[in-house]
Amino acid sequence: MVVKVRNLVKRYKELIALDHFNMEVEEGEILGLLGPNGCGKTTAINCILSLLSFDKGEVEVFGRKMTPDAYDIKQKIGLVPQEVSVFENLTVRENVDYFCGLYVDDKHLRRRYVDEAIEFVGLKDYVKFYPKKLSGGLKRRLNIACGIAHKPKLIFLDEPTVAVDAQSRNFILNGIKELNKEGSTIIYTTHYLEEAEMLCKRIVIMDNGKDLVSGSKEELKAMITTSEKVVVSFTSISDEELSEMKGLPHVIDIERDGEEYIIKFESGINNLTKLLEFIKEKELIYTKLHSQLPTLNDVFLELTGKELRD
Amino acid sequence: MKSLFRNCIYQGKNLFRDFGFVFWSLLYPIILSGFFYVAFSGIMNMDFKDIDIGIEEGNPIQYILEEIDILKVHTISRDQAEEKLIDEEIKGFIDGDLNLIVNKSGINQTIIKEILEQIRQMERLNRPLENYDFQVDYILNKNQEANMIVIIFYSLIAMVSTYGVFAGIVAVSLIQANLSHIGARINITPLKKYNFLIAGVIVALALNLFANGVLILFIKHALKLQLFNEIKYSSLFIFLGNLLGTSLGILIGASNRKSHGVKNLMAIATTLFLSFLAGMMSPDIKVIIDKKMPILGGINPISIISNNLYRINLLGSTKSVREGALLLTLYSILLLFSSYMFIRGRNYDSI
Ligand SMILES: Nc1ncnc2c1ncn2[C@@H]1O[C@H](COP(=O)(O)OP(=O)(O)O)[C@@H](O)[C@H]1O
Ligand SMILES: [Mg+2]
Repeated sequence: MVVKVRNLVKRYKELIALDHFNMEVEEGEILGLLGPNGCGKTTAINCILSLLSFDKGEVEVFGRKMTPDAYDIKQKIGLVPQEVSVFENLTVRENVDYFCGLYVDDKHLRRRYVDEAIEFVGLKDYVKFYPKKLSGGLKRRLNIACGIAHKPKLIFLDEPTVAVDAQSRNFILNGIKELNKEGSTIIYTTHYLEEAEMLCKRIVIMDNGKDLVSGSKEELKAMITTSEKVVVSFTSISDEELSEMKGLPHVIDIERDGEEYIIKFESGINNLTKLLEFIKEKELIYTKLHSQLPTLNDVFLELTGKELRD
Repeated sequence: MKSLFRNCIYQGKNLFRDFGFVFWSLLYPIILSGFFYVAFSGIMNMDFKDIDIGIEEGNPIQYILEEIDILKVHTISRDQAEEKLIDEEIKGFIDGDLNLIVNKSGINQTIIKEILEQIRQMERLNRPLENYDFQVDYILNKNQEANMIVIIFYSLIAMVSTYGVFAGIVAVSLIQANLSHIGARINITPLKKYNFLIAGVIVALALNLFANGVLILFIKHALKLQLFNEIKYSSLFIFLGNLLGTSLGILIGASNRKSHGVKNLMAIATTLFLSFLAGMMSPDIKVIIDKKMPILGGINPISIISNNLYRINLLGSTKSVREGALLLTLYSILLLFSSYMFIRGRNYDSI
């Protein structure tokens, strides 16, 4: 276990930011910490890193209790903070070199690492630029380079793709997979479902300072009752027909979203076939029909009663 | 050691490229000294040339006066004098008993009077008048006004010696996780906090001393004011001013979570106020304080620095050096110790 967090409680005066939060991270995985804005992701990371004091709980990193002066543990960690945190008056290269140099003493090795990190985030053409001359996306890439240049075993990335253009976002996500392949364990916080879904081997879903569930995305989806959704647009349908449809086997609920009806099924065989037979029998006319497997949003919705959207 | 050096280099680069720093530490003092120079140049650049004076034919001091470059001597009779004084053809008339007759008072009249005073004194002491360089003596003796200007420039230099305050604010903000994002980032690295802070202090001292040097060269070569005749003790006080300023900056930076701009304003307000009390805006303030509340001049760090620079360089006196240097050192230690109370936490309740 690379990181182990038990019953972490963190208060900011009255506000309880972490409420008995638990998390475990295994070596070599990409763990996604998924939750809406303000749920406590950044607070959790800062507590794990001993940057913030906390009221209760235990944090172990690399099998040892984490403390502010555990410099040998810090040596193996890289952080990409949520806010771009670089020196405004140092160039791209100087910034990366500065932060890398806090971990790597050897000059030649450092030069190689710095070159690799700059290459890795695609800032090779910008080495002499000052951060204020970089676009938002490029600035975030610099922020990443500063956190990973020393090739840490454990990397924390706190929402590295927020406010980033699509191109930079893909670049960043692919880069993270690459880092993981090279052997780094990664903790990735995000409030974007799709990112967690495409990137992470395991996901901890978080809300109001608590860890709600954790597991692979398949495991998480298997936890909820809705297993399939069918979205249909009828040209017209009466209330009786609708309530008759609700009576079909395995149908949990039908929601209306403008023209579209979202029919939710619990797991069962031939759900779609039965629905199509019903439509044929009632001679209903539809313009559009498709079936959806559950998403993490459905998982979140079922766990918290609210949607996880921007 | 190596990491201290790296931190100095990078923090130095970061600071030196910062416009705010360059402006406040480097340009602003030069602008201010230029401004003072212009504002007081009426008194600074007294035009000593060709002050017309009248004297009666046969007065024994006539030949002495004629030797003095800045005077232009007219031999006229006592009767003509009144008229010429009114027409301002002469600025003053010296009668047979070495009395000065003027029609109005002014800087030229003052100069004549002082020269006459010197001559009388020399005569009383029975010194030979022939070799006496009245012009040099006059300038060296400095009249009251010239002294005032010098006070202004010494207090200006005293003030900017404390301008390490800005770099001190930056250094401490960069290391405190609750004050800056970079602070948070640095706190999770294996770098020890004090290593970074010490580098910040070294950089603050080095860059501000450099800025002070530039100002002093500017005053000496561009404004042509000779303020420093003594180097050793003068440097000591300028260095102590730097130490004090940097410590003050660290305290201002560490003690509160106001924005950087507000902290800079706090620094400017503090140093400006102390400089004001030390006589930078108007030397009269200093005169009043020295008379009414001498203790204030004794404890105001800017006064300590400017008074000592004045005494060391103009009066050649080092009698208050020890006491002043000790007090300034004590202030710095107190400031740093108070800052330590804010900085020492190993992690933060809130960032
Ligand atoms: N320094 C702070 N002081 C007070 N409250 C804070 C502070 N930092 C964060 N919070 C609050 O704690 C909660 C969790 O914040 P945060 O950890 O930043 O969430 P996330 O990273 O998931 O968006 C939020 O309600 C936030 O407003
Ligand atoms: Mg956050």
